[in-house]
Amino acid sequence: MLGTLIFVISGSQTALRYLEQQAQISIFFKDDFSEENILGFKSRLEEDGRIASVKYVSKNEAFEIFSQINKDEPVLLENISPSILPASLEVKALNIGDLRVLAEEFSQVDGVEEVRFFEDIIDRFKFWSNVIYIIGFVLVAVFSLISYSVIIATLRTTIHSKGIELEIMKLVGASNAYVKNPLVYQGVFLGFVSSFIAGVAMVMIGVIMKLYNMFDYGLTFGFLPRLYIQPLVFSLLLFVFLIFSGCLLGLLGSYTAVKRYLKY
Amino acid sequence: MPQIEFINVSKEYEHGSVALDNVSFQIDPGEFVFVVGPSGAGKSTIVKLLIREEFPNSGQILVNDEDVSMIPQEHVHDYRRKIGVVFQDFKLLESRNIFENVAIALEVTDANDHEIKNVIPNVLNMVGLSSKMFMYPRQLSGGEKQRVSIARALAHEPDILVADEATGMIDPDSSDTVVEILEKVNSLGTTILMATHDQKIVDKLKKRVIRIETGKIVSDKKGGKYRG
Repeated sequence: MLGTLIFVISGSQTALRYLEQQAQISIFFKDDFSEENILGFKSRLEEDGRIASVKYVSKNEAFEIFSQINKDEPVLLENISPSILPASLEVKALNIGDLRVLAEEFSQVDGVEEVRFFEDIIDRFKFWSNVIYIIGFVLVAVFSLISYSVIIATLRTTIHSKGIELEIMKLVGASNAYVKNPLVYQGVFLGFVSSFIAGVAMVMIGVIMKLYNMFDYGLTFGFLPRLYIQPLVFSLLLFVFLIFSGCLLGLLGSYTAVKRYLKY
Repeated sequence: MPQIEFINVSKEYEHGSVALDNVSFQIDPGEFVFVVGPSGAGKSTIVKLLIREEFPNSGQILVNDEDVSMIPQEHVHDYRRKIGVVFQDFKLLESRNIFENVAIALEVTDANDHEIKNVIPNVLNMVGLSSKMFMYPRQLSGGEKQRVSIARALAHEPDILVADEATGMIDPDSSDTVVEILEKVNSLGTTILMATHDQKIVDKLKKRVIRIETGKIVSDKKGGKYRG
């Protein structure tokens, strides 16, 4: 469960990161704003720490793009010349959250005709990505709690079934560790086995992703900027993480069970 | 110096019943002492306090001059290895044979196999069960089970052996055998404290008898009898 959710969360975060990177502000300039002025403005933007990249699209380049898009409509193209299309700057922000502020700043600049960016789509995706993120972590917490309870219940059964043996051990002078350690090891083993099975399933998902070239660019997390991990490597890291968290859960569960049910 | 010393010990259980009320007595090394009295008088409480299964509400319990209540939890097992305990219900593991039941006392001390194989036949020989070493508890009589329990208590050569109603669930002949074994153990220097309401045995052995009623010591006589 934990592994699957981490995969889903990472997948949605990766898609969001991709969309964020594609998100850009297009600044269209008035005809009387010279190319020199635009390039000067571009230089200033490149020094802004909030901006990832700035690309200048001249009137001619804009016409080429327009022609490419409308190549099936020759009549339209006949009536359009590069001079009537505006030059523009395509600005990509480091953080999607800065898009609105930057757009407002750009619209105040002299010579700017219009500023456009696709805020709504990204906001909506970001919202759903966050929903997945929150639901995912809530489910992980719930299922961790269930696993923790299962370990406690299993060990409670063991402790009760070994009642007289543990009592005899105590009476003949067994140390706390002698009695408790096997129970703790049992809890850790339970956690290990279940997390190992889950981990193998995750590695298989990683292999399938690799075979079908899914998320070729890599998987990421929102809180780890600019870090992309190949799905197979990601699944192997997830395997190690699951084993570690499974053993830790087993350890915590068994300690709780021993403390609660072993009257020693 | 006494080996066991109860100094003004009182014990009241959570539900309010007073098990021991200001009890004081001393037992010297090598003594054989019966603690007698009716059911609920407080005999088993003395045993539980002595093996630190319970704590007194007030007073002190000294064993070899060490305050039992003050032993840190992580050292209680060392203390318990100096005291062998025999219970009325034997407390044997049905899934283990006699050898294994006795060996458990040494296994918990991390004794090696060689040591276990040397010691266990000797203690089983002492209680007359060496020929039944590989039998299971279900194949033994009550008296034999109690002798296994004594063998287990003796496995790590305790200074003190505590028996709580050790003859309570066995027939009179077997009781005699059990008491003979305890006498033999005592003759080798082990202090014996036996809580019992078996009048026949107490009267026969003529050892020191501490009589307790409703949590108070009413008599303490050497060479005494069950009824004083």
